[in-house]
Amino acid sequence: MTTKECYEKIGANYDEAIGRMMKDERILKFAGMFLRDTSFAELKAAMESENYDEAFRMAHTLKGVCQNLSFTALYEPAQEITESLREKTRDVELAKSLLPKVAEEYERTTAGINELLQNI
Amino acid sequence: MLKRKILIADDAEINREMLKFIFEEQYDIIEAEDGERAIGILDEKAQEFSMLFLDLIMPGKSGIDVLEHMVSKGYMDFLPVIMITGEATPEVEVKAYELGVSDIIYKPFDPMVVMRRTMNITELFEHRIDIEKKLEERTKELIESRKKLEKSNEFLINALSSVVEFRSMESGDHIKRVRIFTGIILEYVRKFYPEYGLTKEQVALITQASALHDLGKIAISDSILLKPGKLDRDEFEEMKKHTIYGCEILENFKQEENEFYRYCYDICRYHHERYDGKGYPDRLVGEDIPIWAQVVSIVDVYDALVSKRVYKAPYDVNVAVRMIHDGECGVFSDKIMDCFDLAKEELFAITELEFIGDEK
Repeated sequence: MTTKECYEKIGANYDEAIGRMMKDERILKFAGMFLRDTSFAELKAAMESENYDEAFRMAHTLKGVCQNLSFTALYEPAQEITESLREKTRDVELAKSLLPKVAEEYERTTAGINELLQNI
Repeated sequence: MLKRKILIADDAEINREMLKFIFEEQYDIIEAEDGERAIGILDEKAQEFSMLFLDLIMPGKSGIDVLEHMVSKGYMDFLPVIMITGEATPEVEVKAYELGVSDIIYKPFDPMVVMRRTMNITELFEHRIDIEKKLEERTKELIESRKKLEKSNEFLINALSSVVEFRSMESGDHIKRVRIFTGIILEYVRKFYPEYGLTKEQVALITQASALHDLGKIAISDSILLKPGKLDRDEFEEMKKHTIYGCEILENFKQEENEFYRYCYDICRYHHERYDGKGYPDRLVGEDIPIWAQVVSIVDVYDALVSKRVYKAPYDVNVAVRMIHDGECGVFSDKIMDCFDLAKEELFAITELEFIGDEK
């Protein structure tokens, strides 16, 4: 499995990522680091404990990371949940309803990366 | 040469890494995973960094908190900051620019673009700091040479005015006192009558110029200038011309645009004008008489009254003030009289001194 194939599988934009990062191995390295990134876990925890300021920050971080890695499929729900948690226009019910979609894409993304790392 | 340092403050490791790989060849990279830590590192060694990349939203202290701290500590003067953010929110952007960030870069960023902008900004900052340093040195030099120039100016004015006194066989202190009194009264005019728009610099120049008020006396013949006792009508008419002779001397060195020249000229010419229009040589009325000439006029009258002259004994200071108030020695505006009254205790104290050392 190539990095490009992995990107296609998880709904990410490989061309965009390689355009910025220049080297495939660099993308691979960052994708590997994404498995260590705690922002999704912390977002989930913050939603459960109803700490929505913290949830906003974590959603925001997750979104930013997805932008940098061109994880388009995960970026979209991450972006939506970030907006729903923004203090001035906060809609907690909407955020709660968006969380499963974020989780689903997160699982798909990490599973894809895990598969990639095992098949090099 | 030591590698220069960049500080990256972002709570996501991936984001820090993405900046790191752009710069790690040219720079030492220091990382801070939240605002709190960024502030700690800056307080320890802000001077060492060439650039700070700052994430906007971080747990605890936000990017804006970090910026506010940097402003309060003065770090923004030498350390350029590039803000990294996921989206454009105008109010936050405006705030960031107001606090002094050099640029805002949006995720996802293109490494080449970030590299370029960083180079441009650091070059600009280094250039600016270099220029400021040079400017500071140059300003210091200028101030010093200006001080020297002022000193030699003062010396020349003193030398020139003492020629007049020497010829009139007056004690050398009249001109010194006129200068000091002029400075004191002008300071009150500046403070209490802002309508004249006097600045401290003007007060200093006018005070210097006052020393030349009787310059024209150099052109008056000995028989009149040194005559003991009262002058007759013709002699007095000739004596009055010292105001015009002074200007004629000055006109030989006319400097059209020069403020100091104007004060010297006005003071020579108009220090015997009267507020009611009955003075000489031009019979100017009221505020047509420049305020600097009005001040020198009252000062000259006061000092003449309290000084010993070949033809008269000195008046007591209080008598002199009463005579001026009663209009026995000229007519002055209410504003000038106010300032004179405010200044008179200071004037008395100086009058009492037998010897006047070099004023500071």
